[in-house]
Amino acid sequence: MIHFNIDQWRAWAPGLDSADDWVRWSRSPWQPPAGDEQPDVGFLPAMQRRRLSRLARMAFHVAWPLAEGQPPLPLVFASRHGETPRTFAILGELARGEPLSPTQFSLSVHNAIIGLWSILRGDTSEMTAIAAEGDGLEHAVLEAAALLAEGAPAVLLVIAEEQPPAAYADWVDDVPFPYAVGLRLTAGRDWQLSCSSGAATESSAAWPHALDFILTLLRDAAQCQHQWKTRVWNWQRNP
Amino acid sequence: MSELELEITHLIIEALGLEDIGPEDIGRELTLFGDGLGLDSVDALELGLAIQKRFGIKIDADAKDTRKHFANVASLAAFVSARQAA
Repeated sequence: MIHFNIDQWRAWAPGLDSADDWVRWSRSPWQPPAGDEQPDVGFLPAMQRRRLSRLARMAFHVAWPLAEGQPPLPLVFASRHGETPRTFAILGELARGEPLSPTQFSLSVHNAIIGLWSILRGDTSEMTAIAAEGDGLEHAVLEAAALLAEGAPAVLLVIAEEQPPAAYADWVDDVPFPYAVGLRLTAGRDWQLSCSSGAATESSAAWPHALDFILTLLRDAAQCQHQWKTRVWNWQRNP
Repeated sequence: MSELELEITHLIIEALGLEDIGPEDIGRELTLFGDGLGLDSVDALELGLAIQKRFGIKIDADAKDTRKHFANVASLAAFVSARQAA
């Protein structure tokens, strides 16, 4: 069992950005369009933002305001699928016998985004990139709780997914639209999270789990349960 | 600016994803790397690749005068012309 506080959060999906947007969404959730819309990262100079993919832009967009005015903070970045458009572009170049793009290659690895974050914010705190199946949010919270227990003043947690290229459609069915959620976690007892075992089931959630959790936050629900395979995660808000 | 220089200017913008920069912002003698335009080592590799693909020439990354050829748009155009003629 782990305990923590959620100090502040931010989320982005196409057409959903401000706190008011998410409150409206939570009252009667709708499916955002997939499309090409990109979140704003105008807080970065053009020369710095030019190499950011949409996945990176989403991560920066939700995390940047959470980091402003704070001391240097560790960051836990979770994404199940990562930079699939970059990987797919590289595989295409290989298949055509063309030389690989150095930019695509260097930014395709799973920890590229936290590397860019560290460089652009000038923050050398511990940063971690994880890919943990369908319960990446919980694994990231576990990692964050460990950092808080080690004495971090707060931990930034970002979970982000980009829509994979169409070629992956038969294998990737859990990203109906691109989205990102950022949380700033601090030590405390507002929330507790525990894991128990259950019979394996298929996930029946209507929305990607990180967004389901936003619904829990916005509806002031006291608890939320999320099962992935045999892992049953219980989120409990302490009164 | 010659036609080739203009083509190289467009190639730089396109290959390196230079948001908010137009061809008019890159003079033919503007230093591309470090000071000037402010490109970095990953840009150097990417631009080298783009030039090789577009003009069908081979660039030796280790040759000592490669750095000189990549100084600005004018030197790159001279380099490409010389290689294409060779």
